[in-house]
Amino acid sequence: MTVRCVEVSSPYRVERVRLLGCGRWLMAVLLLISLPVLSDDVPEPEGYWTGPVNSEVPHTVTGGTVIHTQGLAGLLKAGDTLLIDVSNAPVRPSGLAPEATWLPLPHDSIPGSLWIPGAGQGNVAPDVEQHFTALLAQKSAGNLDQPIVIYCHERCWLSWNAAKRAIRLGYRHVYWLPEGIEGWRTDGFKTEVVQPQEPRGDGIKK
Amino acid sequence: MGMILRFPGACSMLVALLASVAFASVALADDEGDQAARNARWVQVQRAVFADRQVLDGSSVLQLEAPPRALDPALVPLTITLKGNAQPVRGVYVVIDNNPAPLAGHFTFGPAADPRTLKMRVRVDQYTDIHAVAEGADGKLYGVAKFVKASGGCSAPAGAGDPMHNLGEMKLHLMDTFAAGKPMQAQLMIRHPNFNGMQMDQLTRYYTPAHFIRTIDVTYGGGIVLHVDSDISLSTDPVITFGFVPRAKGELKVAVRDSKNESFEHSFTVPAA
Repeated sequence: MTVRCVEVSSPYRVERVRLLGCGRWLMAVLLLISLPVLSDDVPEPEGYWTGPVNSEVPHTVTGGTVIHTQGLAGLLKAGDTLLIDVSNAPVRPSGLAPEATWLPLPHDSIPGSLWIPGAGQGNVAPDVEQHFTALLAQKSAGNLDQPIVIYCHERCWLSWNAAKRAIRLGYRHVYWLPEGIEGWRTDGFKTEVVQPQEPRGDGIKK
Repeated sequence: MGMILRFPGACSMLVALLASVAFASVALADDEGDQAARNARWVQVQRAVFADRQVLDGSSVLQLEAPPRALDPALVPLTITLKGNAQPVRGVYVVIDNNPAPLAGHFTFGPAADPRTLKMRVRVDQYTDIHAVAEGADGKLYGVAKFVKASGGCSAPAGAGDPMHNLGEMKLHLMDTFAAGKPMQAQLMIRHPNFNGMQMDQLTRYYTPAHFIRTIDVTYGGGIVLHVDSDISLSTDPVITFGFVPRAKGELKVAVRDSKNESFEHSFTVPAA
């Protein structure tokens, strides 16, 4: 073991560690430790993602553009951008005692966003899909060149699905913000509390 | 992480270094910085849970231990300890401020209880203050808080295997040796998925309907030890550690009722045979 080993300070560079001869045991431990941040290899699914909503996401969305917080701030300055938040809305569970306190936190969005809960589900309920389609058409006045930015949370597939959905509807300038509201907030940008466009349950096809 | 200790010298240093890098990069979202927002939330939650009753500073009455950053947001361990010379308490409320259903549980002690230590595991949905609020014999409320970084506990799936397997099965682990009149700690484990309605079934992709424990009653020799009103924030397969005072050899009885009105009862002989 040499000091050179310590130079490998990024969990993404597991391969190099092996070259430096730290051994298989170390490899195994490194892999275990770095799994939560190894997102390089998540491929885009063929259709919509129906796996766990909160898991690693790809770096791309075919037909659309990945945008990050600084880029988004610039885009918003240019104006005329449609911001869509597809985070889930908490739904009061059936069976909760009537007197039980149900007090979800107010929902924080990027200022100016439309919040359409459910629109990013893999198996989307038809009424939610219609709602999403109609809102995009209305807000873009039918202009398929309308820039549309879609987001939810960090490590959240809902926005990826919704971006894909918008792309399939024919929109030519769809942007996806993988860092979600957490990334926006962490980078010091402002948020505002919004209400959902319509309370639509969990948005999943029953 | 215990594995790391087996690696000697520089390799373990490297591993520790990489571990800190890995954890630093998952630590996104807001920091503890927004104390004002957290205080405002507590005011709102307090009003919803305790109505007009004021929650006083409880740092001389009780103590709350919670991990600053929880590795598993669906299994966040809490320990509530009552301070030695404080006044007796009637019960303890556990409030997870930023969970959509903030009141995780109300634990009421009976005459057969030793209320000094109470432990449980809870779900944390996003970075939050957790409050433990004791109700003193004087009828007043005394609260303490800990900030916990964890998120996703409410939507985390219940884990591997059939979550309904052995539903209602219980185990009791006595942590002290029996002596008549001497307080004993007991760890109670209940098999129950405690579905909160926000977890997606990994196979069907539908949300699993809520199905959770509403009440737990513990008695010893007919005397009340503990009554728990719980909600969707207790973890899957709840584990609760509490104290009781056995006046003589006898039976510790546990009765559980859930949100589907199913009930489960078990008796445990003390001392264990």
